[in-house]
Amino acid sequence: MVVRQYQQELEYLERLSPYCWKIKKGFQPNMNVEGIFYVNQTLEKLMFEELKNACRPGMAGGFLPGVKQIANVAALPGIVGRSIGLPDVHSGYGFAIGNMAAFDMNNPESIVSPGGVGFDINCGVRLLRTSLMESDVLPIKEQLAQSLFDHIPVGVGSKGIIPMNAKDLEEALEMGMDWSLREGYIWAEDKEHCEEYGRMLNADPSKVSTRAKKRGLPQLGTLGAGNHYAEIQVVEEIFDKWAAGKMGIEEKGQVCVMIHSGSRGFGHQVATDALVQMEKAMKRDDIETNDRQLACARINSQEGQDYLKAMAAAANFAWVNRSSMTFLCRQAFAKQFGLAPDDLDMHVIYDVSHNIAKVEEHIVDGVPKTLLVHRKGSTRAFPPHHPLIPVDYQLTGQPVLIGGTMGTCSYVLTGTEQGMMETFGSTCHGAGRALSRAKSRRNLDYTDVLRKLESTGITIRVASPKLVMEEAPESYKNVTDVVDTCHAAGISKKCIKLRPIAVIKG
Amino acid sequence: MEESFSQEELVLPQCKYEYLDHTADVQLHSWGDSLKEAFEQCGIAMFGYMTELPSVEIKQSSEIEATGHDLESLLFHFLDELLFLFSAEPFLICSKVTITQFVCEGDEFKITCKCYGEEFTLGKHPQGTEVKAITYSAMQIINEPSQNKFEVYVIIDI
Repeated sequence: MVVRQYQQELEYLERLSPYCWKIKKGFQPNMNVEGIFYVNQTLEKLMFEELKNACRPGMAGGFLPGVKQIANVAALPGIVGRSIGLPDVHSGYGFAIGNMAAFDMNNPESIVSPGGVGFDINCGVRLLRTSLMESDVLPIKEQLAQSLFDHIPVGVGSKGIIPMNAKDLEEALEMGMDWSLREGYIWAEDKEHCEEYGRMLNADPSKVSTRAKKRGLPQLGTLGAGNHYAEIQVVEEIFDKWAAGKMGIEEKGQVCVMIHSGSRGFGHQVATDALVQMEKAMKRDDIETNDRQLACARINSQEGQDYLKAMAAAANFAWVNRSSMTFLCRQAFAKQFGLAPDDLDMHVIYDVSHNIAKVEEHIVDGVPKTLLVHRKGSTRAFPPHHPLIPVDYQLTGQPVLIGGTMGTCSYVLTGTEQGMMETFGSTCHGAGRALSRAKSRRNLDYTDVLRKLESTGITIRVASPKLVMEEAPESYKNVTDVVDTCHAAGISKKCIKLRPIAVIKG
Repeated sequence: MEESFSQEELVLPQCKYEYLDHTADVQLHSWGDSLKEAFEQCGIAMFGYMTELPSVEIKQSSEIEATGHDLESLLFHFLDELLFLFSAEPFLICSKVTITQFVCEGDEFKITCKCYGEEFTLGKHPQGTEVKAITYSAMQIINEPSQNKFEVYVIIDI
């Protein structure tokens, strides 16, 4: 890492607009392209503070600030356009979280990096609508929350309740949501409203270690812990009535269910295995990076191809996982209201992936190119008329689901043409951490956090009280700041704001 | 069938670890009178993040083996094996790990370890935080026998 004083570091950063900053070449060694990050005034402070802290002399241990990580990614072989930091960016493993970068598939030097996807492959958000209003739910809110908590396995060490054996898992890994459909857990329409129609075709379960499969099998259909949750939410505000209408959201007070989860231990192990493999490939192919954590392999190498196939299997796992929980949610609602999920109109509005790498077509400097787009803590946000978004959203642009933190609000955005040009059709993914977990544990008391949530009318069911402190809204950036920045910068557009009334967590 | 253990095996080690700050994840810091002990403590520290260790009784044990090409990768694979023990059959949560063989000479880096605990059971063991993966991020191993200083720092992804 280049050692410079904070003031010297600032010379490499240039404000382009009130909402975005450029990272010039030279900020980190060997940058092939420039970096850029989107922040408003509030988020900007957090970002610069992180950098300032890292510039203190004599720092031992510690970690790279997000800006440095964005710049290190800009130094990876084959990157095109810019290395992009979204407003919720913060320091992560190798890539920052909230970092996206695209690599030219036709450049033999181009790489794929598991660090650019993250450990939780295809972590994502799904939103279900209902025909219920807040007033229908309030009288039985506690029971409904309890019922959801009883239906969905949550937290450390919980096991899935969808019956599965090793053979089923193999099929699920290959088929994604087609498996869920065949087994009768989902509706055919669900697939339509999901990125990739819930199935990555290049998935190859034979490229996945037995270890990953063993970790995955007991966990399929579980929510997990950490920042994952299932929430009952109500529509608080509609910014774009027409687009909301296309999503089946008609008025304020309408009840929705949001599920935030990923590929569980399966994906974590796939990522771990790939990182070990790639360390070897880097030595062999002489790939130099600024940071050991940016382990990567050429896209066309054996390791690169194996990772992409295993990653696709993990992506399928995550979709089956969210589908299984969709099934459980529908059951819980149906039992409480004595109506079939059909009659409750519990359709999937959309399902997004915010930790994934995908092959996409983009225009770079006026030339169409095939790129491998890494989105880590970043959501795809395709504009209207894009061929890869479903018919229902052809005119509105892709719905982008931004999960807030426990007890704050969540948003639905839509993709824009400007986002397609500037950020390869990508936007933010959530709030992004501001406080460390250990700090949250020290500074916050869980009874206070719970009382605060209760006083705002939010029912909570949580498996681990410790987690409540770590995941308290105070530990995160304000999701409204994040979303407003994306809206103001034009990389996506606000459509709906949702407020939680019940939270189920690990 | 329950295993039987000697009195010595049932004695829990002292706590020689702590959890340090990291934005999204947690850094484990452990120490001991030997590198072996620092490694063992690091393993316990990880289990301590998943549940309240006092709730764990020693009812069964498993043996794991880990190898590496240097100290860092040995630590990485050692923790990865422990995590796997918890994440899949036998779903073992441990309150004690004893390294029975610790080889780090020349090119050979190898650990054999006996892990004591019981199957993780909801209702009995309070749910802590889930550990997704072990990382090399800012990993530090301080191995200074001359000063009797043995410490390890590992960031786990959660």
